[in-house]
Amino acid sequence: MQNPNRPLSPCEARRLTITGQVQGVGFRPFVYRIAHQHHINGWVQNRRGEVLIFAEAPTEQLDRFLYSLLHEAPPLAKPVLAKSIATDTEDLETFMIKASDANSVAAVHVPPDYYTCPDCLSELHDSKDRRYRYPFINCTQCGPRYTLIKQLPYDRPNTSMVAFPLCPACQQEYQDPLDRRFHAEPIACPKCGPQLQYVEHDQIINGNETALTQTLTALEDGRIIAVKGIGGYHLMCDAGNEQAVQQLRDCKPRPDKPLAVMFSPRGEDGLAAIREVANLSETQSSLLSDPARPIVLVDKKPDTLLANAIAPGLNQLGVFLPYSPLHHVLLADFGKPLVATSANISGEPVLTDNRDVEQRLSQVANAYLHHNRPIVRPADDSVYRVIAETPRPMRYGRGYAPLELTLPLQLDKVVLATGGQMKNTIALAWNNRLVISPHIGDLDSARSLSVFEQVIADLQQLYEVQAEVVVADAHPGYTSRRWAEQSGIPLITVFHHHAHAATLPLEYGIEQPWLVFTWDGVGYGEDKTLWGGEALYGQAGNWQRVASFEPFALPGGDKAGREPWRSAAALCWQAGLDYRAPREHELIYNAWQKHLNCPTTTAAGRLFDAAAALIGLVTDASFEGQGPMWLEAIASPIPDHGPLPLQQDNDGILRADWTAILNVLQDSRLDAAERASRFHASMAATLVAKAERLREQLGDFRIGLSGGVFQNKLLSEQVLVLLEQAGFDVYLPKTLPCNDGGLCAGQVMEYALQQHL
Amino acid sequence: MQHTHISLAHGNGGRFMRELITELFARYLANPLLNTRTDAAALPELEGELMMTTDGFTVQPLEFPGGDIGALAIHGTVNDLAVAGADPLYLSLNAFIEEGLEIAQLERIIQSLATAAEHAGVKIVTGDTKVVRRGEGGGVYLATTGVGVKYPQQDLSMEHIQTGDCVIVSGPVGDHGTAVMLAREQFGMRGDLQSDAATVLPLTRALRDITGLRFMRDPTRGGLASVMQEIHQATGLGLRLWQKYIPIREPVTAVCEMLGYDPLYLACEGRVVAVVSEEDAGKALALWQQIPEGVDAAVIGIITESPQRVILETPLGGERILEELEDDPLPRIC
Repeated sequence: MQNPNRPLSPCEARRLTITGQVQGVGFRPFVYRIAHQHHINGWVQNRRGEVLIFAEAPTEQLDRFLYSLLHEAPPLAKPVLAKSIATDTEDLETFMIKASDANSVAAVHVPPDYYTCPDCLSELHDSKDRRYRYPFINCTQCGPRYTLIKQLPYDRPNTSMVAFPLCPACQQEYQDPLDRRFHAEPIACPKCGPQLQYVEHDQIINGNETALTQTLTALEDGRIIAVKGIGGYHLMCDAGNEQAVQQLRDCKPRPDKPLAVMFSPRGEDGLAAIREVANLSETQSSLLSDPARPIVLVDKKPDTLLANAIAPGLNQLGVFLPYSPLHHVLLADFGKPLVATSANISGEPVLTDNRDVEQRLSQVANAYLHHNRPIVRPADDSVYRVIAETPRPMRYGRGYAPLELTLPLQLDKVVLATGGQMKNTIALAWNNRLVISPHIGDLDSARSLSVFEQVIADLQQLYEVQAEVVVADAHPGYTSRRWAEQSGIPLITVFHHHAHAATLPLEYGIEQPWLVFTWDGVGYGEDKTLWGGEALYGQAGNWQRVASFEPFALPGGDKAGREPWRSAAALCWQAGLDYRAPREHELIYNAWQKHLNCPTTTAAGRLFDAAAALIGLVTDASFEGQGPMWLEAIASPIPDHGPLPLQQDNDGILRADWTAILNVLQDSRLDAAERASRFHASMAATLVAKAERLREQLGDFRIGLSGGVFQNKLLSEQVLVLLEQAGFDVYLPKTLPCNDGGLCAGQVMEYALQQHL
Repeated sequence: MQHTHISLAHGNGGRFMRELITELFARYLANPLLNTRTDAAALPELEGELMMTTDGFTVQPLEFPGGDIGALAIHGTVNDLAVAGADPLYLSLNAFIEEGLEIAQLERIIQSLATAAEHAGVKIVTGDTKVVRRGEGGGVYLATTGVGVKYPQQDLSMEHIQTGDCVIVSGPVGDHGTAVMLAREQFGMRGDLQSDAATVLPLTRALRDITGLRFMRDPTRGGLASVMQEIHQATGLGLRLWQKYIPIREPVTAVCEMLGYDPLYLACEGRVVAVVSEEDAGKALALWQQIPEGVDAAVIGIITESPQRVILETPLGGERILEELEDDPLPRIC
């Protein structure tokens, strides 16, 4: 308790430099408000990436101001006090917000796109509010950022809102430091802001309410609508209408890949509607409610109102809450869950342009709900899966991207890492900063490549750095590697699994040696074969391959990625067992015998494929990972199936022989679920057996799990439990996706550590 | 000839060699200009701009469904001149024969070479044979050099290619590459698959009066995709191909699907890719479709300004990038 009779201490002045997430999040108006509250004179100014504050007041008031500044900031702001310097007082009489200083150079942060905040949401549903049901409502605490910023500093003229001059009412809010919309750059209202447009064949309907009415009617009729959102379009249809969902699948075509479903927020925590179709853990619930509003994979309940065609063959379901005000209005009016899957051609980035989407999705969309706020660059929805009670990102996009991480050491140069081929993301890194792009897509398509190039150019422009070295995957045929070669920037290549391994030290530290199990599909390895079932020992920048599987030859090369029967054939033929190819058996068997386009691999992902095919679940996959996902879905945890036999080869690599599991997989006395369960258990036990053998040889290490195979919840949880029981310290990525979406970050780490060796 | 197989003596300049040349090569290739006793051929005076090309042939196996190395040695050189806008006239022939090659097989090859030359209306006017030791050659390697006269009204060059031009292919692609691959690996014979090896002269001559014809190429090694890549790299322009219009025979598709190959990268030996102005494309296509060599001809794409790449539009609306052929393509899907 302060003594009220104590005389005020003399004025003093400080210059504060605030860094961290302070732009696009309402930080300056907040500073203005607390300055008034604590009777501080001075000013606040936005510089590129940081905020400067000059504050003068008696010491106690200054201290209280500082405390509020750092501890009471708005929810989306993450201020860091970088500098506080005592300086001469200037006897100012007010506190003001100074115009942004565009010429300063500092640590720029590009904010991601946020959900619709509770304040805006209540206005959205308030019939007396001037933004009642306005699909583009936002404030300093919410709304689009990354997808509408053209360049920094983050001011309206530098966004795609430049085309919408403010009406007097919005102008008033925008200029009032005490208003929630003070400098809310995408500020808009029905009078001056973006509008909806409904297009069906030749019929064009402009106007928010009329367009919405048309959309709802179409959805009720079971039609498929392409709806423009924040980072791109969704294809939407009634999630309870079997026929509509099937039509979407047939026309896209997307026969089996699961579809995400969006639910209207209901009940106390907004999750009541989701609970009707799924069981939610506490972690899943809080993840669903996160301002980033990711898609979360949750356990589906049997016999719900949802169409069966939403996630065939799987026991999990991707669900999320509405995040843009347009989604809120649509969902509230429709009253039932909607399928909301990215509107794209398979493997490509989500479509963002009105005309593009009409041209390219005409075979599937019956109508379009456009709006006229341009999307500057795409951001797909983010996807999370909870594994071992911890949220694990499967895909980063809207709400998180660009993702910023801190490197454990300083870089000597500005580094651009071009990632992998599938699920591509790219990274830009300098000093100790690492910025990761949202999910781009599979780079064999022209649209992916042009988005890839745009994102590379944009991130460098936004963060005001120029790549001085480019790091790419060692695979000579990756588009990202070819691009890097032609970029004219000095190139360093990193092996696929080295990059996978390096994500662990990035997340969890570089102090101790690591043993990282890098299990995925295929990636180019040091011996020019296709790795994917490796254990790498060492540290980022210096890995040694210490364990793997017996190699096998994949008939038809790349085709094996989509046709699990090829992996099954490879294993059976090598083991001397019969396997009949579904077509052209003689031809492919001949080719396999002659090693014609049958590259050698040790990929664990292909073992999962083979298991799915041998059990008869999936012989030809319609999407990447279908075999392993369906296999996981029918399996359940069983205590132990015993590891595959291990043997050290001439190079000292500990190899697991998969022959032993073939009998189990082909044992028709066991039902499919039993075989799938035993396969999972055996793979988990094999990993643990390898770790134990290697501990005897190498001493203590931390264990990491990286690579797409560990998206498998059942396998990862089994492995984690068994390793912990065996006394190991074990880590699975939680900041980065363990799949190829994390490669670019690992590539930066490899470069960084190699420079310091 | 008394021998059944080639020996080193067939290359030593003595009687065996003379016999080989007179009884095999000269016998089938005889024409007034070929004189095996002179060192150089005297050619009649030619009018017009001369064009010359050379090519080597090492195909394995030497004989395959739809052709053999002999016919290929004629077609390869004749076709190179033909797509450059010339009428081929005279060829030289070099044969590097491996010790141990069956003479009957060599005879079949020379015979086939002679037939192909006759069809194409060209004469072998000079030649040479060498015998290499066992294990140093793949049975026989051939090299031909050809001389032709350029058709005066035509000026073909990649430099003339412009945005908006159409890309036309004269027939199904990938036949030769697929047939040779299957033959080489001694897969069971497939009656439905054979090389397209043939002279393309009827095709190139058919377009003689098309003023909008910019450029022609026979898509041999590296296939159709590599020609597209070459155009892109030389001109900086983009190419957009429509997959659904590219003619590919069903058995070629089936074999490639199964073995994991892309027929767009497999060799043709009797096809032409032509780049023709938009206004003349219909005319050119019709001219091709009227002759037996071009019944399956199709407009398969256009030259674009941007994006400046080779893009294949899939039937589902996807856009695949056709990259330069890799030395040793490895899977990229993980």
